[in-house]
Formats: sequence, structure tokens, C-alpha cells
Amino acid sequence: MKKGNIGIFKEIRPYLGLLLLLMLVALANNGLNLWLPKITAVAIDSFSGQNFEISKIIYEMAGVSVIIFIFALGQSFLQTFLAETVAKNTREKLVNKISEQDFGFVNKVTPEKLLTIMTSDVDNIKQAMTMGLVQIFSSAVLVVGSAVMLLRINVKLGLIVLVIVPIVGLVFFNLFGHIRSFFKRAQAVLDRLNKVIKESIVAAALVRIINSQNKEIDKFNDQNSQAKDLGLSIMKLFSGLIPTIGLLANSTVILILLVGGKLILAGEFTVGDLTAFNTYVSMLIFPMIMLGFVSNIIARAVTSYQRIEEVLNFEGKDDFGDIDKEIKGKVEFKNVSLSFGQKQVLKEVSFEIKPGSKTAILGPTAAGKTQIFYLMSGLMKPNSGEILIDDVPVKKYCQKCLSGQLGLVFQDSSLFNLTIKENINFQNREDETNLKKAIETAALDDFIKTLSDGLETKITERGSNLSGGQKQRLTLARALAVNPKILLLDDFTARVDRSTEKDIFTRLKKNYGNITQVLITQQIASVEDFDQIILIMDGEVLAKGTHKELLKKSPEYQQLYSLQMSTE
Amino acid sequence: MKDYCLKNFDTNSKPNLKVGKLVGRFGEFLKGDKWRLGWAMVAVLINSAANVATPLIVGQAIDKFIFDKNWPELAGFGWTLAGIYMVVAVSNYFQTVLMGRVGQNILYRLRSQVFEKIQSLPLSFFNQNKLGDLISRINSDTDKLNQFFSQSLNQFMGQAFTLLGIGIFVFYTNSKLSFWMMLPVVGLVGVTYVLSSYMSKRSRMSLQSLGNLSAEIQESLSYFKVIVLFNRRDFFRENFKKANENNFAMSIKSGITNNISTPIYDLAWNAGLTLVLVMGIEMIVGGQITVGLLIAFLAYTDKFYAPLRQMAQVWSNTQMAFAGWVRISEILDLKTDLEITETSNNLKTKEDDVLVFDKVKFSYDGEKIILDEVNLDFKKGKTYAMVGPTGGGKSTMAALMCRLYDPDSGQIYFEGKDIRNYTGKELSEQIGFILQEQFIFTGSVGENIVYGNPNYEIYDKKKLKKELKEDGLEELVERFENGLDTEITPDTEVISLGQKQLISFMRAILRRPKLLVMDEATANIDTVTESLLQKIIDKLPVETTKVIIAHRLNTIKKADEIYFVNDGEVVSAESLEKSVEMIEKSKRKS
Repeated sequence: MKKGNIGIFKEIRPYLGLLLLLMLVALANNGLNLWLPKITAVAIDSFSGQNFEISKIIYEMAGVSVIIFIFALGQSFLQTFLAETVAKNTREKLVNKISEQDFGFVNKVTPEKLLTIMTSDVDNIKQAMTMGLVQIFSSAVLVVGSAVMLLRINVKLGLIVLVIVPIVGLVFFNLFGHIRSFFKRAQAVLDRLNKVIKESIVAAALVRIINSQNKEIDKFNDQNSQAKDLGLSIMKLFSGLIPTIGLLANSTVILILLVGGKLILAGEFTVGDLTAFNTYVSMLIFPMIMLGFVSNIIARAVTSYQRIEEVLNFEGKDDFGDIDKEIKGKVEFKNVSLSFGQKQVLKEVSFEIKPGSKTAILGPTAAGKTQIFYLMSGLMKPNSGEILIDDVPVKKYCQKCLSGQLGLVFQDSSLFNLTIKENINFQNREDETNLKKAIETAALDDFIKTLSDGLETKITERGSNLSGGQKQRLTLARALAVNPKILLLDDFTARVDRSTEKDIFTRLKKNYGNITQVLITQQIASVEDFDQIILIMDGEVLAKGTHKELLKKSPEYQQLYSLQMSTE
Repeated sequence: MKDYCLKNFDTNSKPNLKVGKLVGRFGEFLKGDKWRLGWAMVAVLINSAANVATPLIVGQAIDKFIFDKNWPELAGFGWTLAGIYMVVAVSNYFQTVLMGRVGQNILYRLRSQVFEKIQSLPLSFFNQNKLGDLISRINSDTDKLNQFFSQSLNQFMGQAFTLLGIGIFVFYTNSKLSFWMMLPVVGLVGVTYVLSSYMSKRSRMSLQSLGNLSAEIQESLSYFKVIVLFNRRDFFRENFKKANENNFAMSIKSGITNNISTPIYDLAWNAGLTLVLVMGIEMIVGGQITVGLLIAFLAYTDKFYAPLRQMAQVWSNTQMAFAGWVRISEILDLKTDLEITETSNNLKTKEDDVLVFDKVKFSYDGEKIILDEVNLDFKKGKTYAMVGPTGGGKSTMAALMCRLYDPDSGQIYFEGKDIRNYTGKELSEQIGFILQEQFIFTGSVGENIVYGNPNYEIYDKKKLKKELKEDGLEELVERFENGLDTEITPDTEVISLGQKQLISFMRAILRRPKLLVMDEATANIDTVTESLLQKIIDKLPVETTKVIIAHRLNTIKKADEIYFVNDGEVVSAESLEKSVEMIEKSKRKS
């Protein structure tokens, strides 16, 4: 509880000036509000007197009211501005933090949780800022102010009435002890809801084909009822709060009437005083009820802030070096091992790729081929061993240097909801000739010509307006558009037909003849003439060499080759 | 194809809102909670009545007992008040509990309904809308409505009753003073009227901008590896910044519009107080009323304006809730265009025809024709291969076979009946389709294999193991480190595309379909495993019809018939050699 609160206050620090101004305005506003009942009381007690002037009261009341109005307007502007600024800046801070991380971070925390944090959790903080902070402050001012006024009018009666303040405090304290774990669980349920929605939407085609809509609905409703049960538990905790405070407050009205009545009889108190007392007590009570409402919001915000803080306090970021030089294209793996948790993906993998050469990586499903590419491009870090490009460890290069000279075509086509041109020219280079060359090499020119908007055609959500082969070629063009020195193709040929494949390789040779090419593939036929073939199985290098060498020395390779020849 | 794109409201567009219809349908969501709402109403009434009565009681007490110095009766009065306050507390408690439950029930029902609706919509809907915005609609927008019910409506009802009660009561007591008390309300009505249309518009824009923000985050996080690889962290930041700043601007606008009413209401409140005080004093001097009545009236003024002021705040929440409801309704209003029809234009299909394409014409956007009057028939137990350049229409044909879309014209017949006559359940039981894109759900490999399988309503590992063995699939399971128990998620890079394809393969085979459509189902699987898959396919019952889309010739080789698909046309390629020739020659138009 304490830690979270302090965290939130830390977040406020940059806006301290604004906040102070806001508090000042709120203070003035509430102070003036405290003055009004006094004017009324004076008027009631003195109208029968001689010096009574009704116009004076009108001026006083009207003047104060207008000033309150102006302050209140200012307060509401400031409040909105502050809350939205905090929300905006917190989101920006989160994005800046996340965007610095490596690929593994987002995978580990999961995009669903990050989405909830940046929307729902930030929203909770914002609500606490708009309603919470100022409300607490105004309430405090009103409570203290009315308490002072009560004591000034009549100390004895004032003290009796003020007994309820600590009682209300106790009620709050008790509640806060219970509520936190509920809010934490509520946000976690929201993460899971997001996940179910996301998975069912992404897999919409499959769900429709195997008619599993009901299963998805069941999964969703399962989380949905959990959310409801938690909502109800939270509501139950709060439902007793406001009536209790209300009852406490109302009991003071009786006290005032009885004790005040007696005091009037004794001549220690006037009827005007009694009126003022009643008003001040309602001024004391109302903010307390508001605190009841606000405590809900604050408790939620504290939980949300902890989730935000978890991301913001994450230490470390994707570390790249600062070497910036032209790469020739030599790649070397030295005893590289990689594991995800318990699972060993790569074991002591070593090989060397000469600049400008062509290498194929061959191996069964889940042998660890894709991970080799991730390591080569710096997306992942090995657990041990070294990955060198031109004899320099990959991570020693600056990110700009690496991303400008290394092209990776992913197995899955992750295309953005942008135009074709923006997707291909993802690095936003002003280099039309290169762009044209990339498009032509990926054999996309004819396709783009058939589109009425050409390069400016927008790719719809998850590339749904493109065929598998078109998406694959677009990602190739995207990798080529950086004019890479090293090109990594992950199972590229899987989704394009034979003639297109041949066509693309001829164009690659013509346009990007001297770059290092590494190809993950299943088909020996397409890589027979390569300079090197690396056979990987279960994360280990089984054999490496040219096609001819491997046929001689590797029985596994021979087996694979004869199998492919017989089925071909 | 139908337009499923959800409208995004921008500054200039005025949505066509049928308020009556929107509110009317909302009634349905309240059905199960009728009695709760009813009792809550009773609680509210009791509460309001007590609120109306107490100031008068206090005023009378002052007049009767304090001025008359009658102490014992004053004490008795205290007990009466205590009783009333107890009633208030109890009714207040029930009101909160009941309405809180109604709010949660509504939230549950709304989310469920929106999600169920989405599940009933065809694939086209998902291709046309952004994932992040949909998530925002299902989660955030529904929560706005929950807030409205659990907090706002509750308050609104209570305040409205109190207001009405006090209004009637004071008029009855002293109409002249009441007139002065309520005079400022006239101004308020005007102000509220003017503000309301701004409020609703700006609330909608603010929710929309939040939806956009969520879509932006969603996309960038899903493709984070591309962002890192291309060193476009700035792209993520910049795009986000744009959406964030837009959200900021919209929220400020809607926030200020929504908050402006409170100071105005406060001003009216103070004006009312001033009027009552000044006029009241004049009336006392004139001997028309007592001091006690003035004090009571001053209290009533507070009790009149306090709920009014709260109602103003609630009103802006209502606008926000309404904006959320509009966005939700937009989804609920959509209807699937893949309806199940009763009538069938019967075509004389032959006995052994499993699937027939009859003059099938199809386009995604109504412009670019993908399939043009295609006639084809697939016979029982045969294997068909579809070849052709990428973007030629092969996957589209496969999608039509499983009715992911309906053709623009022409018919598709499955076992002699129009494919549109079958329910989704019937089709899914008979047609197996391995999609080009692989889908995995968070869970174990075993759970993913039996996903949606009607024989595995409850996951039964033993049964699954036995069945996998019978079908010769158990060897494939060994490709996963912990076999059936390997935990996977769609996002992790730990599970390879080839492994995903293996899961999809097993998933389809286990369902024992009559027609098995494989759209490049084994593209990323190594040759050794692939030949294993081929053996499994060969072992399928002889009457199973297979349609295979592939680029690799070895997959096509065993086909009884090869179709060449390109440029809207489908022709028989006669032989493997001929098909190779056709592919080589085909000018790629896509």
C-alpha cells in the first residue's frame, strides 16, 4: 500500500507546479464556499436589528458566488488538463520504455498485458488524478474548514460533533486493508479477457471452419464471469461504506438539534448559530461521503500503478554497441548455445560463412533454424558462444548499422496496416532507385500494376487482402529495400510457386549478386549449387560443406537427398 | 461482399443515431434484473422521502420546541429522527447493493453479447476491422455502461426522486418562496440543452480515439520483432505519439465539456440561496413566514440544488455511456451475410460427386474478379491438386469450399445440396480444412489438437493418445519436447511454423472429414516429416476426397487430377508435366 502510494506521488512530481496551482484554486474555491453560510447566519440573526441593509447581503452573496464560479471553472480546466497530461505522459513513458526493450521482453510480458497496462491501467490513474487528488484535497480543506468554523461558533457542541471524524477514518482504514487484492485480481482478469478476445479474433478463420464458436464463447464467458464475481466482491465491500458514513453524519444532526436546543434554552447559542451549524455539518459530511467514492478510485489506481511501475522499473534494455562501419558480409558462429527455460534450442553451433557466399541451412521442423537467424540479426542473445559479423560480435554494432545492412525475411509475414510502399520502405529511406530495385527483384512490379492505387494501396488488417505468396514477396521486398549486405531468407520458397521462385533467384543474382545470402529451406534441389550447406538437427550442426561433399561424408544428408529425389 | 467496416466518427460526420431504437434494445439487457431494479426503485423512493421530510421536521422542531422552550418533546423528536435515519441507511445499503449487481450483470451480458455477436460474424468482418479497436469496444466501452448503471443511474434515480419530492413539497408549503428558489433552474435547462449535443459528440470522439490508440499499440506489439529488426523503434514511438496526442486532444475537449456544467450549476445554486434568503427575510419582516420556515427553506435549497448538481455530473457520464453504447450497438447491429438457407436450386449432381462448383464467380471487393464462372466437380475418394501462380485464386477456392465466403453468383454443392443449406456444425463435421495460416491457442499441444473437436468436449489425454496411435499420428507428437503436454502459446517463438502445421494437420485428420482441403498445409515441414504425413494421408479411408494446394511437385504427384488456377479461370492440367509447363509459362499477373 505504502509503496504504491509513494510511487504515484513520484509520478506527480513533474506536475508539481500545476498541481500546486490547482490546489490553490481549489483552496480558494472551498474557502469561499465556507464563507457563504456565515453570511446567511449573520443575515438571519441581524435582520430585525437596526443597521440591517438587505442590499449589502445581496452584494456579498452575489460577489462571492461569481468569484466561486470563476475559480470553479479554473479548477475544472486545470483538473482535466492535469489528468490528461499525466495519462498522455505516462503512456509515452511506457512506450519509450517498451520500445527500448528487446524482442524477448514483449514476448515475456505478453502484448495483452502491455495493452491493458497502457489503456485500462493508465485510465485508472487518470481517473484518480481528475477525481481523486483534488477531491481528497478539497475534502480535506472542507473538513478542516468546517471543523474550525464549528469550533469557533461553539466549542462544546463542535467537539461533540467532531467525534465522528475519527470514526469515519477507522471505517476507511478497515476497508483499505481488504480491497487491494481484489483490484489486483480484477486487472489480471482483464488481461486474460483481452487474450481470449485476441486469440479468437486472430484465429477467426479456423474458428469458423471447425465451427468452434461456442468453445470460444465458453472460454470468454468463463473469464467474463470471473470478472463479474470480482466486481461483485468489490461492490459488496463498498456497499456498506456510504450508508455507514451517512448514518454517522445524520446522527450528528440529531445531536445538534438536541444539544444545540438545550444550549439555546440556556442562552449560549442562537438560532442563527444552529442554522450555520447544520450547514457546516453537511459541509463536513458531504466530503466524507465523497472520500468514500474516491477511495474506490484511489485503491484501483494504486494497483494499476504497481503494474505500470513494473514495466517502468524494468532494468536493462536492448543493448547494442556503437560500431558503425560497412559490413563485408562474413558471418561466424562460435560454439553458440541457446535455450528457452528448460528447453535447449541450439547446442554448441559453429560455422563460418564467407562474404558474398551463398549458404543453405537445412533441417527438420523445430531444429532451431529460425533461431539461428534471430541470433544472427541480434533479435536474440545466445546463452553462450559468440556470433561474429566481420569478426565483430553482432551486439557490438550499433543498431542503425546492423539494421541498415542486414535483411531478414521472416517466415511469417508480419505486415503493417500501412500502404504497400510504406511497408516495403519500412525504414523510410529516400532512395527511389533502391526501392524500385527491391520491388522488381521480389517480382512484385506486375502485381502492383494491377492495383488501382498501385504502391499506395493500403494493406488491410493482418494482410488479409493479399495471398500468402504476395505477402511473402512483400516481406522480401521490405528486406531488400534496406540494400543489405547480408540477406537471410527463412523458408522463403515455401509459399511461392516454382516459376516465381526461379524468377526471383535470377533477379536476386542480377541485382544483389555480391551479397551474402543465407537461406533456410527444406528443398535440396534449390540449393545444390550453394557454396555451403549446413545440416542442423535437434539444435546441433550435423554436417556442413558443399552438396558434393555432404553427399560423400554425411549419411543423413544422403538419406534426405535420396528421399527428396524419389518423391520429386 | 458485405461491408463490415465499423464506422469511425470523425469531427465532421454526424452519426445517424436512432435514439429510440438504441434505448429500446437496451431494455433487453435489463430483462433479467427487473425485480432488482424494482426493489432498488423502492429503496430510492424511501430514501428520497426521508430526505425530503427531515429538514421540515428539524425546522418544525426549532419553531415548536426551541422557541417554546419545550425540552422533553424535543428529545422525543430526536428519537423519531433517529428512526428515520436508520431507514435511510438501510435503504441506501440495499440501493447500492442492488444497483451494483445490476451494473455487473449488465456488464457481463453486454460483453458476452458483443463477443457472441462477433463470433457469429463471417471472416470478412475480421479482415475489415482493427483488432485493437475491437478489444477496446468489448472491454472499455462496455465498462462505461457498467459505470453508468452501478453508479450514475443509481444516483440519477435517487436525485430525480428527491428533486421532484422537494419541488412538490416546497411549492405546497410556500409557493412564493419556492418560485424564487427555483428561478435559476430556467437558465440551467437552457445551458444543459446547449451543452448536451457537444457532450455526446465529444464523448464519442474521445472513445474513438481511445480505440485507435489501442489499435496502434496492438499492431506494434504484435510485430515487435519487425520493429526491432528494422530499427524502427521510432516508428512505434512516433505512430503511438500521434495516436496518443490525438487521444489527449479529444479527451481534453470532452473532459472540459463534461466538467463545465458543475461550476454553472454551483452558480445557480448560490443564486437560489441568495434569492431565498433575501426574499425570505422580506417575507418574515412582512409577517408572512416564520424564521423556522426560512431555515427549512434554506436547507431545502441545498437539498434541491445538490442533487441537481450531481445530476449534471451524472448527465455527462450518461453521455459517455451513451457514446459507448453507440459503438457497441454498431457491432450488435451487424448481421452475417452467410445465412443458412432452406431452399436449394437443385442441380443434378452425379452419385459420386462430393463437391461441385457451378458457375462460381467471386471477388473480395466487387471489382477485382478472382474467380470467373468456374465449373468444377470433385469426386468421392479422389485426390485433386490445385496449382498455379501465387495470388491466382487457389486459396480463395479453398475458402469457398468451406464457406468462409459465399460466391457473388453461382452455386457450390456439397453432396448434392447447396452448401448454404448446411449448418456450420454439419459442414465442419464433413469438411476438414488445413489453412495456409496456422492458428494456435494458449494451452498444451494436446488441447490444441482436439481444439473444437466434438468428440473431446472434455480433454481426455488417454483417449487422444489411443486415437493418435490408431491414425499413425503418434510419431508426430514426438516432434514436441514434452509430447502432448508441451505448453504453447501463439506468440512465442519457441514453437516453429512447421510445428504449428503439424498441430493443424493432426487437428484436421482426427476429425475424419469426408473432404479434406489442404492449403499449403505442409509448406514449412521438412521432407522426412512430410513423407510421414503423406503416409498418414494415404491411410485415410478410401472414400475421403482430398484437395491439395501446393507448390512442391512431390506433393502434387499422387493426385488423380491436377487443376491449374490462374486469372479467374480453372482448367485441367491433364498431366504433371503439362502442369509444370503451364506454371512455367504462366505470366504472373498478380
